[in-house]
Amino acid sequence: MKRAALLCVIALAVPAAALGSGPRITVLAASSLTNAFPAISSAPRYSFAGSDQLAFQIEQGAQADVFAAASPKYPEALYAKKLVYEPVVFATNRLVVIVPSKNPAHIGSVYDLKRHGVRVVLGAVGVPIGDYTRKVLAKLGLNAVLKNVVSDEPDVRSIVAKVALGEADAGFVYVTDVLSANGKVATVTIPARGQPTVKYEIAVIRSTKHLAAAQTFVREVLSRNGRGKLRLFGFGLP
Amino acid sequence: MSRRAFTAGLVATTTVALAFLLLPLVALFLRVSPGTLFGQLGNPVATDAVLVSLKTSAIAHALVLLFGTPAAYLLATNRFRGRPLVLSLVELPLVLPPAVAGIGLLAAFGRLGLLGSTLDAFGVQVGLTQTAVVLAVAFVEMPFYLRGAVAAFEAVDTTLLDAARTLGARPARVFARVALPLALGGLGASSAVALARGLGEFGATIIFAGSLQGVTQTLPLAIYAELDRNFDAALAIGALFVLLGLALLAALRLVPLWTRSVSTSRFRSAPSVSS
Repeated sequence: MKRAALLCVIALAVPAAALGSGPRITVLAASSLTNAFPAISSAPRYSFAGSDQLAFQIEQGAQADVFAAASPKYPEALYAKKLVYEPVVFATNRLVVIVPSKNPAHIGSVYDLKRHGVRVVLGAVGVPIGDYTRKVLAKLGLNAVLKNVVSDEPDVRSIVAKVALGEADAGFVYVTDVLSANGKVATVTIPARGQPTVKYEIAVIRSTKHLAAAQTFVREVLSRNGRGKLRLFGFGLP
Repeated sequence: MSRRAFTAGLVATTTVALAFLLLPLVALFLRVSPGTLFGQLGNPVATDAVLVSLKTSAIAHALVLLFGTPAAYLLATNRFRGRPLVLSLVELPLVLPPAVAGIGLLAAFGRLGLLGSTLDAFGVQVGLTQTAVVLAVAFVEMPFYLRGAVAAFEAVDTTLLDAARTLGARPARVFARVALPLALGGLGASSAVALARGLGEFGATIIFAGSLQGVTQTLPLAIYAELDRNFDAALAIGALFVLLGLALLAALRLVPLWTRSVSTSRFRSAPSVSS
């Protein structure tokens, strides 16, 4: 019994020691940051999902320390409700159309997407990528594309998956998501006049029990190293 | 431990277990007023989801009954080599997570899947369509139904089937007029359980069929989609499921009573050996 208890203590102590000093913080981050954030710091525990879902989790009292969203909408709303400290912009992004690498629907430009029978997947309304996509379509006079939508997905990763699997002919994602598709998708650019302003904001969650560590992480993201990594993964910088 | 302490322990653990099970269900109804809940059911997302769920579940359930009932009869009434293996394979999907069903269906029927290129040649695409929802629902329903239906047919007294045969009834007539009516109670119960499981299907559907309001967005997918957009609507759909479940359980309690009365009246009219 004593021995088992001792083993437990060791098992618990070892990983904590391996991580070095300081508590392990939890970072709730937009799906599109899935590759970039772990490259900036491997110390925190990450939970990647749609920014809207993460905001909902924070409202429901999720125990987490930092929130990084693909749109100012949710951090600002949470800031207004005093659930997070003041958010800062740390990255920008652009939208792009992805098609399966074999491009079965022969999509050559964003205007081909309104052709009858093209199967398009978008982010759902309320998910940042979904809202940005609808802005792009409105700006380019392409609202007809909405008739070709076969699925409203909960986050960018599931849009990439459905296009990479060939189930959809095209999808709207951030340019930074193309890297994670490992060559299974090709891209079609969106004209500059259709591009929305995509700003990423980061904020420390007020209920954090590790304020110093959370602030350190935010500083790391904003540091030269952090900015370099973000640029490496295709993000723009504010 | 004294007897009284033991009983007290049992009561205490049962209370905790029951409270744990019921609290979330009760909470669904208490978080917002019944008026709000009822009002949210008129929300287009909810009404569309009800229609999509009813349609896809009805088609999937019809397919499951149509193919599952004869299959269950065969498995229940024939002893052949490999039967235990077949019965185990039928139950395999029961112990798999629905997400596995979803990627399995994609790997089989997806555009890049096993049958995908064949289907594509006929201009048929399954993934991300309402057909995909039907397939996902049928896939998760089938094992639930088969398992119960095999047991229902096995419970039928074989001497009655033999008697029908010796009296000259052809196999199809034995099935339709003797086995089927006698197994009806068990078939009805497993059919209801399978239907409930199908209506609740989430994981396989979101992977294989996607989520589009009015097309592939079933009730569980609508809960997920509305969770952060309109929590009250998500609650309302959840509450609807609880009521549906209660109705189903009540029906299951009534089915045995009904079949018992049917079967006893039938046997009463049949001449018994002793008389």
